[in-house]
Amino acid sequence: MIEARALGTQAGAFALSGVSFTLPRGAWGIVLGPAGAGKTTLLETIAGVRPATTGQVLLRDVDVTRLAPEQRRLGIVYQHGYLFPHLSVEANVRYGATDRAHAAMVSERLGVTPLYERTVGSLSGGERQVVALARALGPRPDILLLDEPFAALDPRRRTRVRRELHAMQRELGFTVLQVTHDFGEAGTLGDLALLVEEGRLVQAAPPAQLFRRPATAAIAEFLGAENVYAGTAETVDRGGQSGPDTVRFQTGGLTLIGIGTYDGERRHAVVRGEDVVLARSRPGASSARNVLDGVVVEIAPEGALARVTVDVAGVPLVACLTTASVAELGLRQGVPVVAMVKATAVHLC
Amino acid sequence: MNGRPAHRLAAAGVAVGSLLLLGLLVLPVSALVLRGGAAGFRQLGTDAELRASLLLTASTATLATLVAVVLGTPIAWLLARGRMPAAALVGALLDLPLLIPHPVAGIALLLAFGRASPLGGALDRAGIALLGSPLAIGLAMLFVAAPLYVSAAREAIARVDARYESVARTLGDSAWRAAWRVTRPLAGRGLVAAAVVMWARAASEFGAIVILTYNPKVASVLSYDRFNAFGLDAALPVAAVLVLLAVIPLLVLRSLRVRAALGEPAR
Repeated sequence: MIEARALGTQAGAFALSGVSFTLPRGAWGIVLGPAGAGKTTLLETIAGVRPATTGQVLLRDVDVTRLAPEQRRLGIVYQHGYLFPHLSVEANVRYGATDRAHAAMVSERLGVTPLYERTVGSLSGGERQVVALARALGPRPDILLLDEPFAALDPRRRTRVRRELHAMQRELGFTVLQVTHDFGEAGTLGDLALLVEEGRLVQAAPPAQLFRRPATAAIAEFLGAENVYAGTAETVDRGGQSGPDTVRFQTGGLTLIGIGTYDGERRHAVVRGEDVVLARSRPGASSARNVLDGVVVEIAPEGALARVTVDVAGVPLVACLTTASVAELGLRQGVPVVAMVKATAVHLC
Repeated sequence: MNGRPAHRLAAAGVAVGSLLLLGLLVLPVSALVLRGGAAGFRQLGTDAELRASLLLTASTATLATLVAVVLGTPIAWLLARGRMPAAALVGALLDLPLLIPHPVAGIALLLAFGRASPLGGALDRAGIALLGSPLAIGLAMLFVAAPLYVSAAREAIARVDARYESVARTLGDSAWRAAWRVTRPLAGRGLVAAAVVMWARAASEFGAIVILTYNPKVASVLSYDRFNAFGLDAALPVAAVLVLLAVIPLLVLRSLRVRAALGEPAR
């Protein structure tokens, strides 16, 4: 279990402050945020290699804020590995290992054993990361802090190592807190996602919730939401005690019906591209509350997917479709379409 | 169009300036070695006082360097890692011996360790005669040259990313153990280079030593003594041998730099 209570630290002119979250034992936490947000600083403060200036760090329900890193019984893997260059790969893996059989098992499962005789200088960036992972797991930590540990791995190896590490985590029950820029990784691995910006934790939620219900428009944009609008909103149907309100959101010529609570302030609306359905003509009957007429202005293929931008009353609305759908609908620039969005897919923040 | 002649003129100016400075450095040393070098090496076989002074110089410089390495490396590490309490004050104290004239350093040491001082008196009563002994020579060398070691060692340690130590600590090492197992080997060449620089500086010291211990004579004092007593011709061979011996640490330093350039592990 990792718990931060109003945690803060100073790193030169940069300050991390007021970070609070709880990651249950055996869970996999993901730290997201732009470069320079303080993600690595957060890991280092939890590890104790950087002293906390405010707040507390609790590991396994014990306050370790004043304990030295070697007393915290956790492992850390930096993005660049930081393998000891004066030692062989094998000596690196065994550096902190008290149980050689365990270190050998970890190495075998991560595919590090064939690298044992190599010098650190001869390893590729990806190999270094895997060796660093094996080294961190050597002392059997029950908490593992990972700073973009798969960033330098080629896609095939990344999938294999990620799967193996996930399997080991389930078997051995250690808790993981991982920094990543890979949103796919966050969605696949994470039980809890922490979004850090400018040294502050701006949202902590399960990854699905973080992606679908971002707390602010800035978070939505950072997380890659295709449609983020600033506008005004008004309640059209109060849900009362039983549930949320129905809200009408207006931006330029585009009106969206969404679900939420309107408190009279200027609002943002977020619609993810995969929640937009396109058709060539209006459906006879549909449960979608937003049925919008528009014209295709751009189609940007991205592998098997395509981002189709539709002009709706002068406002661009992006839909993510498969390229097969684009072909079947005969979409091209200038084609009139109908865009449909469920009210529950319109997130107001 | 106007830039090219100006560039050429500037390049010529830099070249002439560089040659003048290099000439200034090379000329006196060459003259000394050419005039006294051969005689100096011949004299090594026949002049017992010269041999004794060289041995004394080497042994006291080595002792001072060893003491500086043992006592100075932890300070260098604390300074490099920003963990030294009152680091600015400690840094200033370490810089001070580099800034004061060396005879003044000798006088200061005399005041601190002479028989009239509390410490010198206590040593005297304990039967340790500091002044006029090789111990005082080592002390003077330590005073003037140890700051060079600490400064160079601090830079060598600072070049090793502190995250290596952080990782070692999460693997169970204490701060000192991580520094010993990880930083020391990674900064090894830099630390050896720092020790070599200190040794060379200690071996060439004159001003502070001559105040504390005229006899027995280290090589620099012997050279000065012979110049005073017998004139230039008598001092030349001793001086030339000293210069030629200074080449040894220079070669060691060059070798360390070349090896570092060729074999430093990728980080």
